[in-house]
Parts: sequence; structure tokens; C-alpha cells
Amino acid sequence: MKKIETTLESVVSDLTAFYDYKVWEFLTLNGVAIDEGTTEIQWIFSRYGAIDDVVIYYAPVKNSETVPSVVDLIPSAIISQREIVDMFGITVENSEKGLYLDEDSLSAPLATCRI
Amino acid sequence: MGRKIIDIPLGSQHISLLEPIKFRFACENEKIVDVSSDVGFVHRGIEKACTTKFAYDAVPYVVARICGLCAITHSLAYTTAAESLLEGVVTRRAKYLRMLLVELDRIHSHMLCLSHTAENAGFEAMFMRIMGDRESVMDIQERITGNRVQFDYVSIGGVNRDITTDIEKEIRKTLAFIREKTHGYLEEFTTNWSLSLKFKGVGVLTLDEAYRYNAIGPLARAAGLATDVRSETDYLPYNEIGYEMRVGEGGDIYSRNIVRLFEILNSITMCENILGGLPEGEIQTKMKGKPTGEALVRLEAPRGELMYYIRGEGKAMLSRVRIKTPTFASIPAFIEVFKGSEYADAPAILASFDPCMSCTAK
Amino acid sequence: MDFSRYRKRSPWILHYNAGSCNGCDIEILAALSPRYDLERFGVLNSGNPKQSDIFLVTGPVTYRSRERLVELYNQMPEPKVVIALGSCTCTGGVFRGMYNVEDGIDRYIPVDVYIPGCAASPELIIDGVVQALDILEKKTKERENAKRLYSEPTTENGITDRSNSAQKIGTGGFSPEEMKPNSPERRENEED
Ligand code: SF4
Repeated sequence: MKKIETTLESVVSDLTAFYDYKVWEFLTLNGVAIDEGTTEIQWIFSRYGAIDDVVIYYAPVKNSETVPSVVDLIPSAIISQREIVDMFGITVENSEKGLYLDEDSLSAPLATCRI
Repeated sequence: MGRKIIDIPLGSQHISLLEPIKFRFACENEKIVDVSSDVGFVHRGIEKACTTKFAYDAVPYVVARICGLCAITHSLAYTTAAESLLEGVVTRRAKYLRMLLVELDRIHSHMLCLSHTAENAGFEAMFMRIMGDRESVMDIQERITGNRVQFDYVSIGGVNRDITTDIEKEIRKTLAFIREKTHGYLEEFTTNWSLSLKFKGVGVLTLDEAYRYNAIGPLARAAGLATDVRSETDYLPYNEIGYEMRVGEGGDIYSRNIVRLFEILNSITMCENILGGLPEGEIQTKMKGKPTGEALVRLEAPRGELMYYIRGEGKAMLSRVRIKTPTFASIPAFIEVFKGSEYADAPAILASFDPCMSCTAK
Repeated sequence: MDFSRYRKRSPWILHYNAGSCNGCDIEILAALSPRYDLERFGVLNSGNPKQSDIFLVTGPVTYRSRERLVELYNQMPEPKVVIALGSCTCTGGVFRGMYNVEDGIDRYIPVDVYIPGCAASPELIIDGVVQALDILEKKTKERENAKRLYSEPTTENGITDRSNSAQKIGTGGFSPEEMKPNSPERRENEED
């Protein structure tokens, strides 16, 4: 498992340089609540046919910031982007709310996921 | 006739669906031109409960309740991740027993999918036959673990029950029975008109689309994309027990069925090899400490790749459990397949994906 | 035509998954399949609420399925029996207290039979359905009694309509003359 830090501004260009759709499988988009108001967003990839070759690009995101969408590059990211929007209450370009949560559900359930 | 687009909903409650999912097909005459889906009907909030309500050693039993069909893969993926954080080593016997259950699970899950495909083709008798034969797999699962469906077999450190020679004999008998039956199905699925020709060229996912949309599991392998987590990870010694990847061609419903049938056959062989080479030893090892750090584990569930990401901070509660389930990741690919096919085929295509909504929404 | 005599012999099942883990749903399929053969009781799994008599629900009711659950229940014709299948359907089970679930379906619709177990085994499912059949018969009888008392509800094309009789009980739909013990209208009503 290799972790590469990136920032919100550079993530799209980083991923464009990195992602070859015949070599890498996009696993999912993940979020981890770091502390109040900050979430670490991870883009996780694995290489087809290699043993445990997983690469994670990650960037810390403030709740007021907007995460750029990578759907143009990776079409299958659309659904995990919508999930992140629901779960952490952050905004992602071109991804609307309401994949899982209803109007009266707890909003952003994982955002302050501290014990 | 003008070019008029009509919206047709399918779901959330429908006879051909086992679980609630809602599709809205925009159709032009009979052709589907656009699809939107609503998958959130069964969202319960398990990811949060894993980090707030249950301690790390109880979580395997909670995540098993994400999905009743692939419960064992969920709890196994979680335990493997937790064990790597605790830096414990599981005995080889426990690993073999875990693999045995995972493969048995794959057999009965694929059988369910095939029977469902047959039902959607209007072949009710075949549905009943496969469901009837599937019971024998459920029986040995019950013999090994004590329960038919939610059997909570895996726990952190190993497995909860050992098998005896009696049970072993029974398993071998059942496996031989299933193998014979599967050869029968194979013939039926390749020669019977309503199960083979009818499905050829329906619901096609091309190889390039499979790459583009990151298709996984039987869906990808039927399209010719050679990806299987069993050959891409090494926590479980799959190379020792005769694992073979089967790649289909065409990417249509027919080839998905064939890939599944061959996977059943391969799983049967693997189960027999597991029983043949079952190492001696303990089935449980004590693990000390609290999980610290982060771990990512991938495992091949019957429907494709399952991923667990966990992060712990040395406390009894974890701070994050991220579950990526196979159906969730393949929804973009599903939608791609639907576009351009006939509306009348939609239920059959959907059944051939073997979707699991409980997994998707968690 | 009056179907009530045949109802017990061929109850149709409507199954809805209100957020379960699939375990119990699979067991329903297993119960319908040849080994357990629930179909020998005339049970048929139908996908249509308007033709069903037994409502088999699994799952602890997630927020998004609440509306559908009540809607399906309302669409089923009287008499109907509701079975809560699985621990999580009865009480919330392992999902109790999670943020997107209600704890059990009886917060939304009345339940007649509770089947415990996680997952409930096919044997238990059969037991539950057989018990539901008795309740169904009882409910059918009760409705016939109501018919004798108020000459309502009407049975038309096999669909029993209770709305009129409920109105009569509730709002005193009888005129004062009708309410007198020996009024001709009252007797006429009782006769048919
Ligand atoms: S009772 Fe258990 S097995 Fe049944 S649906 Fe609920 S969680 Fe799943």
C-alpha cells in the first residue's frame, strides 16, 4: 500500500498523469474524518494482475472547500463521489446529495466520527 | 411515430427483484436510451455503527449482517484487516477452513444467481431444480458452522469451529453430487434454447467498457477482463489449492452464466483440495493489543471485489471502517449495459448481474 | 363471486425487503423451493400487492422504505395478515439504534405473526405462514360477522369493501328510525 499526498488543486492533473485505464483499477473514493471540520479524501487504485499493488492518493479537505470531480477521467467514480457527499457533508463538483440519506436522516453521519 | 421518449420505472418493489432498487428507464420505443437508479433503499448506517457502537472484536459479526449471501467474505475481509493491525498470525489450518467456507459460499451464491436467471427466462422448473440442489450446500454449511445463513464462522484470531472426519466425509459426498449436477446445468445452459441462444448477444459489456467502468467479478471476467482478487492477493494461499481463472468472451448474459458455472466447478475442485491437504493445528490464536494504524484488505466475494479499509488508534473502537462492496462499484457498468438494450430484457439483464442491494447501501 | 371460502387454501404472498440483510429473503426463497416446499399450502409468491393476502416483511425499516411499506400495506385488500420475518424485523435486531433505521416494522404497520431468528430458518418460516393462515381464516370469519350485523361491507368482484360499514359505526350512519330495535329498515338490513 503506497500513499501519495496531493492537494485539491493538483489532484486532477496528478491523476490524469497517473491513471491509465488499462493498467489501474479504480477501487473507490474514501473519506476519513481527521478532526472537526477536516476530512481526508482518498482516491484508491490497484494494479490489474499484480499482487497487492495498491496506490492511495490523499488530500486533506476542509468542509468549506469543494472537491474537484474526476468523473471525466474515471467514469465509475460518480457513485462513490455521491456517497462521500452524503456521508461527510462536503461538496464535490457535479455530485448531488441523496444517494442514501433522506431529508430527515442524520446529515453527514461520518463527519465527526470521533469516539 | 415521432421520436418520443417515455420513462418507465422498474422497482422499488417488483416481482423480478429480490431487493428494493429503483430504476427509471428512458425508452425510445423499445430501446433504453438512459437509465437512472436509486439504490439507497436499504441504507442502515453500518459503517458508523462499526465505529461508535461495537468494539473492534464484535465488528466481524456486525459486518456479516451487511449481506446474508456473502456474509463470510465480509467478516473475513474485516478480520484479515484487523489481524494485520494486531500483527497476529493465523494458523494455516484456520486459513484453510476459511477458504473452504468462502468457496462453499461462492458455490451456493452462484447457484442462486443461475436459478434466478433461469426464472427470469421463464424456466420455472430449472429455478426449482437449482434451488433444490442448492439445499445440499446449505446443509453442509449448517453441519460445519451451526447455521444456514448467518453463521458467524470467522472471528479475530481464527475460526470458531473445527471440522471432524464425519463432516469431511459428508462434504466430499455433497461436492461430488454438486459437481455432477453442475455438469448437467452446463449442458442445459449451453444447449437449451431458452437459456442459451436467447441470452446470446443480450446485455453486452465490451472489454473496453469493462476497463473504462472498472467492472469486477464475473461481470468483468465474462467480458474478457482477467481480474480476480484471488490471484491478486496473498493472505489466503489460493495458489496452493488449484485456483484457476476462467475468462469468458462476449460479455453477454450467456457468457456470464458460463463463467459462473465454471467457477462453481473450480470452487468444488478447490474445496476438495482443501480437504485433501488440510494442515493439522489449532484453529484459534490469541491476539493481544488494540488495532493501531491503517490497513486495506481486498477479497473476492461471489460478485466481485470487496474492499475493507480500517483505521484504528489503539482504542477498543476503530476510527474508520470503509466498506466497498462489489455491486456498489459496478453500478456505473450496469447502467452502461442497460443503455441500448431492449426494455423487455431489463429484468433478465439485471438478474444476470446478480446485484446485491444490501451490500450496496450498507 | 365470493372467494372467501378459498382464501385459506391459496394465500398469496407479497414480500418486501425493508432494509434487511438478504439472509431472510434467501430463506424465503429456500422455503419456496422443493426441499421445504411452502407451495404445498397453496402459497404463491406474487409481486402484486392488490392480489396478496399475506404480507411478508423483512428488515428493520430504513428511512427510505417507510413510505413504500405503508403504501404496500394499504394497497393490499382486506383481510390481510402481516408477518415480521427475522429478528431485525421484529425488534431492530443487530441494527437497533443505527441512525437510518426504525426499530422494527410494528412502528408502522400492525403485525400478526413475529418470526424470530437471524436468519429465520425455513422451518420457522413455514410455521409462521401456517399460523398466518389460521389468522387469515379468523379474519375472514370476522368480516362475515360484520356483514351480518350491518348488511355491509359489500363484496364486489371478490374485493371486500369495509368503508361503508366503518362509516356507519363511526358516524352513526343510521338514521334515528333505523336505530330503533324493531324498525323495518333495520330488519331489512339484517335479513340480507
Ligand atoms: S434477521 Fe438477521 S439474517 Fe434476517 S434479515 Fe435481519 S439481519 Fe439479516
